[in-house]
Amino acid sequence: MEQSTSYSDGVLAAICSNLAKAGEKQLKNEESVLFSQLSRYHMGRIAHLESKDFSDLSPMIADDIAKKYAAVENEASAVVDRGALRCVTWGKKVTAIHKSLLARFETQGDALLDGNQVYVCEACGFIAVASDVPQLCPICKAPASRFVKIS
Amino acid sequence: MHAARNIKLCTKDCLCLFVCPTGATDTENGQIDFAKCLDGCRLCVDACPSHAIHLVYDRYPEKPGKDGAVVAALGLLAQSKAEQEAICESLAKDGGPKALLAKGLALSNRILAEDATREANHLVPQDTHSKALLKQLVEDSDDKDFPKDIVAKLLDLL
Repeated sequence: MEQSTSYSDGVLAAICSNLAKAGEKQLKNEESVLFSQLSRYHMGRIAHLESKDFSDLSPMIADDIAKKYAAVENEASAVVDRGALRCVTWGKKVTAIHKSLLARFETQGDALLDGNQVYVCEACGFIAVASDVPQLCPICKAPASRFVKIS
Repeated sequence: MHAARNIKLCTKDCLCLFVCPTGATDTENGQIDFAKCLDGCRLCVDACPSHAIHLVYDRYPEKPGKDGAVVAALGLLAQSKAEQEAICESLAKDGGPKALLAKGLALSNRILAEDATREANHLVPQDTHSKALLKQLVEDSDDKDFPKDIVAKLLDLL
């Protein structure tokens, strides 16, 4: 299953699903559908994981914040890549939300979701556990119409 | 360059029908008939009182290439988010409220991974980097189930 491109199947799935969205925004339906199919092919190649827990995410989240976003920020600052810096600004905040949601779930358990829904901002990935859809994304300022309700 | 309607914003005032010289704006499915729409005409775009019509470009400019060190750092970030997405996907199979949270986290991680790749030369499908990646995937794949036909069609369309 070794791929000689430097990207894993997980990253290739994300590249392709992003290009599918970019195609959709250009109203290029055929290209969009094909990129979605290619994304699903790469998704299908990801090894099935077993006996994982939310606690497995904690060290990864800590490392993202302390090292990976910091590395992008350093490199992007050096060449004044403001697009990459924007990605860091949003991504670090969304990652901090992941950390706080997991901590809340650890103490409250299923009660965290009582009477609440899970909404995800399609633009930046912000997650809201709330009774109603946010009117404005607190991170990227996208409107309520950009939120997906998880079911 | 042709006009396109965002049906969610359209208030059905029909000014676009009044100004369109070819009848392209009057269709049964709510979208403008791109085949009839005149290249760059934009009369309907300017006439629409609810700003529901915009122009869609046929050509997009080549983006300035990103710095190699930035691309590498973004690649490591995308990889971490993809791994977290896979963990969340496996937890989403458990069911119950936990699964709902896991599904939300999986989608959020996908969006974070996508964003990192977008800043790493893969913003639009027409870009040289995205086309080069498609060609490389065909060359490198040793999987008999690799969808070569899909990639060939994409390269043809782009």
